[in-house]
Amino acid sequence: MRKYDLVVIGAGPAGMTAAIYGVRANLKVLMLEKLAPGGQMINTNEIENYPGAGKVNGSELALQMFEHAQELGVEFDYKTVTKIESIEDSKRIYTEEDDEVIEALTIIVATGTRPRTLNIPGEEEFKGSAISWCAICDGAKYRDKDVVVIGGGNSAVDEGTYLATIAKSLTIITDLELTADPVSCDYLRSLPNVNVFPYKRVVEFVGKGGEFTGIKFVDKETGENEQVIECDGVFEYIGAIPYTDFLEKTTILGSGGFLEVNERMETTIPGVFGAGDCNSKHLRQVVTATADGAIAAQEASAYIKALRRKEV
Amino acid sequence: MLKELVKEEFTQDIAKGAVLVDFYSSTCSPCKMLAFILKDIEKTLGDQVTIIKVNFEENPDLIEEHKVEGYPTLVMFKDGEELSRKSGLQQKPVIIKMIEEAL
Ligand SMILES: Cc1cc2nc3c(=O)[nH]c(=O)nc-3n(C[C@H](O)[C@H](O)[C@H](O)COP(=O)(O)OP(=O)(O)OC[C@H]3O[C@@H](n4cnc5c(N)ncnc54)[C@H](O)[C@@H]3O)c2cc1C
Repeated sequence: MRKYDLVVIGAGPAGMTAAIYGVRANLKVLMLEKLAPGGQMINTNEIENYPGAGKVNGSELALQMFEHAQELGVEFDYKTVTKIESIEDSKRIYTEEDDEVIEALTIIVATGTRPRTLNIPGEEEFKGSAISWCAICDGAKYRDKDVVVIGGGNSAVDEGTYLATIAKSLTIITDLELTADPVSCDYLRSLPNVNVFPYKRVVEFVGKGGEFTGIKFVDKETGENEQVIECDGVFEYIGAIPYTDFLEKTTILGSGGFLEVNERMETTIPGVFGAGDCNSKHLRQVVTATADGAIAAQEASAYIKALRRKEV
Repeated sequence: MLKELVKEEFTQDIAKGAVLVDFYSSTCSPCKMLAFILKDIEKTLGDQVTIIKVNFEENPDLIEEHKVEGYPTLVMFKDGEELSRKSGLQQKPVIIKMIEEAL
């Protein structure tokens, strides 16, 4: 059985920072990732608010962090964690890819989030074709076409700004106002091909003969004033749900499935810490994820030191 | 071997052996991560598979011919026949499996 001081689950900015702080605290660290190093940063064309990096492409920042972690000696493996167990002072990690059981003294869960869906008629039928959650991946096919973005937060405004450079028209439908930072919202509103419908609720993805044709929405408050906008594609940005399904049988999840941690990133299971977007928190950004990762790794190191003192 | 598309050679290139084609865009962030993973794969499997990178914007004819809808898209050819295809960024072991199935 492979044994580590610290296993980090997820190689987004939180996980990579935790791994870097872990090896620098002399821990034997393994980082597990189900897709590729970088997490949500990979889906971000331009990060403009990570101090010192200026305007940087998400994958480039991800690769810099990954290479930094590897240079310091972090072990890395492509694995999807399906279960963790805490048996006395030891933790066990199970993965989807094979039967190997990995043992660790501490675990940092840094699994981030995935996009929330609307669960309304037509969504199942058109997801992956006309409905997408990644403008950077699927935006290209809408050159000179009509596109709708659902949502008004940071992701909707960032991705909308990108889509507006490609599409003929961009309509934003949101149940509040645009709530991202005011500078970005004003810029998006100022673009000639952008139209915003605030305080609306999308009720259906409409199609004809299996072909997607548009979306139906109503006034959020009254449920009245039904309108249909014809469009070629839709991007949904209505929030996120944490990748914590594999922890459902533990006691460390709070509302919405997010990890409940204290200011030391400790969960209620000794030796298991949470970091980044999968934690219950207010601001989900690269800089807050890296900060969580650093704190979690320091605390993991302190926990191991205390364990070793107990042993002598 | 990993190489950028040379248009005149494409049909001939995919006609023989295992060839993985990466349809990418230079402005797409997941494509950049995939490029890194493909370089890594080339280190171990480069003598058994040819990886050809095709720029989405510069090759609309190939995009249409191979019905590529978004990027990144990976298409695995064996002796000119399409064996499998995956759209979006993929886990490294998944790409290795795609290649191994064509060997
Ligand atoms: C479109 C968009 C634009 C954004 N723009 C900005 C921006 O400009 N500036 C900014 O600061 N932030 C931005 N963010 C937010 C930022 O990307 C996130 O806050 C940050 O990536 C969170 O880091 P994380 O490490 O907590 O989680 P993530 O980045 O989500 O990483 C988690 C990792 O864990 C992996 N994982 C999940 N489950 C498992 C499992 N069971 N086993 C193994 N691995 C697993 C995932 O594959 C993923 O790689 C943006 C987000 C989006 C979606």
